[in-house]
Amino acid sequence: MTNLTQSPTILNSGVRVYLDHNATTPPDAGVLSRVLTWAQDWGNPSSIHQAGRGPKARLRESREFVAKMIGASPLEIIFTAGGSESNSAAVRGALSALRHKGDLRRHILTSTIEHPSLRRAFESLAKSGYEIELVPVDRSGRIKVSDVESRLRLNETVLVSFMLANNETGVIQDVKEITRIAKAAGALVHTDAVQALGKIPVNLRDLDVDYASFAGHKFYSLKGTGVLYARRGAPLEALISGGGQERGRRGGTENTLAIASLGYMCSRANELEMRAEKMRELRDHFESRVCAEISEASITCHESPRLPSTSSLLLPGIDGETLLMSLDMDGFAASTGAACSAGSPEPSPVLLAMGLSRDEAQCSLRVGLGWSTSLEEIDSFVEVLKKIVLRLRALRGWQDSSSGTNSEQVIQKSVGVLL
Amino acid sequence: MKFVDRNPIGPDGRKRRVLVAMSGGVDSSVAAALLIEQGYDVVGITMQVWDYSSCDIEEGNGTCCSSLDVDDARAVADRFAFPFYVANCEAKFKAAVIDPFIAGYLEGKTPLPCVNCNTFLKFDHLITRMKELDCDFLATGHYAKIEPGPDGRPMIVTSDDSWKDQTYFLFTIDPTVVPRLMFPIGHLNKDRVREIAEEKNLLIARKKDSTGICFVGNQGYANFIEGHVGKAQLPGGFIRRHPSGEILAEHNGIHGFTYGQRKGLGIAMRADRSESEAPLFVLKIDPQSRDVWVGDESYLFSDRVTVKDVRLLGKIEDGERLKVKIRYAHKGAFARVFSSPGQVDIQFEEPVRAVTPGQAAVFYRDSQLVGGGWIP
Repeated sequence: MTNLTQSPTILNSGVRVYLDHNATTPPDAGVLSRVLTWAQDWGNPSSIHQAGRGPKARLRESREFVAKMIGASPLEIIFTAGGSESNSAAVRGALSALRHKGDLRRHILTSTIEHPSLRRAFESLAKSGYEIELVPVDRSGRIKVSDVESRLRLNETVLVSFMLANNETGVIQDVKEITRIAKAAGALVHTDAVQALGKIPVNLRDLDVDYASFAGHKFYSLKGTGVLYARRGAPLEALISGGGQERGRRGGTENTLAIASLGYMCSRANELEMRAEKMRELRDHFESRVCAEISEASITCHESPRLPSTSSLLLPGIDGETLLMSLDMDGFAASTGAACSAGSPEPSPVLLAMGLSRDEAQCSLRVGLGWSTSLEEIDSFVEVLKKIVLRLRALRGWQDSSSGTNSEQVIQKSVGVLL
Repeated sequence: MKFVDRNPIGPDGRKRRVLVAMSGGVDSSVAAALLIEQGYDVVGITMQVWDYSSCDIEEGNGTCCSSLDVDDARAVADRFAFPFYVANCEAKFKAAVIDPFIAGYLEGKTPLPCVNCNTFLKFDHLITRMKELDCDFLATGHYAKIEPGPDGRPMIVTSDDSWKDQTYFLFTIDPTVVPRLMFPIGHLNKDRVREIAEEKNLLIARKKDSTGICFVGNQGYANFIEGHVGKAQLPGGFIRRHPSGEILAEHNGIHGFTYGQRKGLGIAMRADRSESEAPLFVLKIDPQSRDVWVGDESYLFSDRVTVKDVRLLGKIEDGERLKVKIRYAHKGAFARVFSSPGQVDIQFEEPVRAVTPGQAAVFYRDSQLVGGGWIP
């Protein structure tokens, strides 16, 4: 029998360039250096005795930092185990609270490009009598306010839920305007802001939503914590009941270590603008190089407002799955879409919902930059990507549709230009 | 495909890279471990052929496609720190393996899904992956060997473990890919493979052998088919005695029968059948009338069959005497084979029992796998 000391030589060091920050971010160095200190506050924050005081203070402090960063009051911050829980808790918790108050409205509006945690939650609500209407999204990746407006039903629509920024394309939605018209129709509004946190300013007062979801691990914090924002007075029944934690809105002893890491990161909100600007420059540099140097490469949703850190490419003539494996063997981490626990991606449902063909979705690549991404990393990534794309296209006998040349000729052509 | 020698180090001094198809079972795990030991660069790959979230297969049900098996394969890759990937083959597996499997039973055949999996996934999809991932070879945990043939070109020969030999399932392999295949455990027997797994501290050393059809599992293939097409689509019919045509019983669908079957016919206990009467065997399944014909075992024997969709790994001479296996568990029978376009006529020296539509007849010259064809 294998004992644990023999097994796995885990491949942490195998990744040289990490460009999958939309899947998760590495914990910030400041988080790592503080983890042991935070872990020493091991007491139960609900305890009356001294051991509870340290963790209780951390919790309070973190709640304040989070609230400040997203334009909320600390009372409106509920710590959860992550983005999926926050999504589920928001929509289920809001609807069951309303139902128990005798609210008979059953119509819900959401989009075709939401995160699976919401899609599944709505599928299950559909089974218990709710009517879920999906607002379609076209190749721009943008949810059109007019498409929401035309579907809103006064006295029938109880909840709308639209993400703030898409995890795959990075497209930013006009949640503020959607919220305005939805509220005018009397609906509650939820937004999944998981991908937006730390990449663009998020001000919930300004957006005026009733509920919003966040995840710590997308923002350089430890995994296992998230935030559900519930506007003061917004109806909410706890999804998990327990010992009255989080003002009775989320039971279970708080994950104080991970919460402290998220609070710490939110305390650094003043860095966001500078960080975002750097990522945007690198992202734009990356996209212009890819489009110039890989024939027929294109950027999905290029014309829409996007996160500064996300680039979704189409690389005709390659299979995204093989591309990822090849990149990984060279030490580069990217993705074709949402991370899947089995490690085996289906063509992105988001891209398919936007009207891309299966073939197009199959040749997509998502690049997610982070705070630590450097110009050298981007340049070496482009070089490796070019090399692999050319090889894979040559193996498939892919023809460049514009010139009718195959990729080997393209290599010669580009060499010719260089000479 | 270009011929490559099998030295672990190439002429450029780089380690040769082998893509290993890993199921999470003992055989493919040991195959990967042996290649590492021999000095190759190994990349592991598991084909995900099933949507695990939609099925409730439990651990240890003797199949090789559960989510836990992916974890087992991954654990081996972690143990030796080589890259490991899961390839999504669900759509392809459904179209190339599961759908024809179901259709075969509805046509009164006894399908052989493992050959389709080898034809369209392992030795097609993974060959493509091998090239795309810049690998020199594709290795699997099959009990089969690659040896130089008389012309020096590599050929597939039977495993040294004749009881486990799996060359029967490999007859559709494109001969041009054989130079790029490796069967690292083909020269071993199963006991030795398990020993090696123990020696190398692989957790899967004592894992149960996978038996039966990976996607069917313990439920049995009849239940699997009923679950997929619905009982309403599987009308019953009569069990008739050959040659009289006398109706002996009703049955609940032809998918429950296979040629040569004796047990489970639902007629053994009839009061008017005396103990001394000879047992009845399924002789023929008629998908049109849905009649299942049963009768004396002697009717099951035949001395010739013409097979279709023939695939050959090497040339055969007209009228050549070859050994022919008509099912995996068949030990083989000598026959003369006569080929004509698209088919091969097989004339056995001694009659063989239960030539079954949907199975394959596979040809061997001594230990060399020469090819095979489908029994219509």
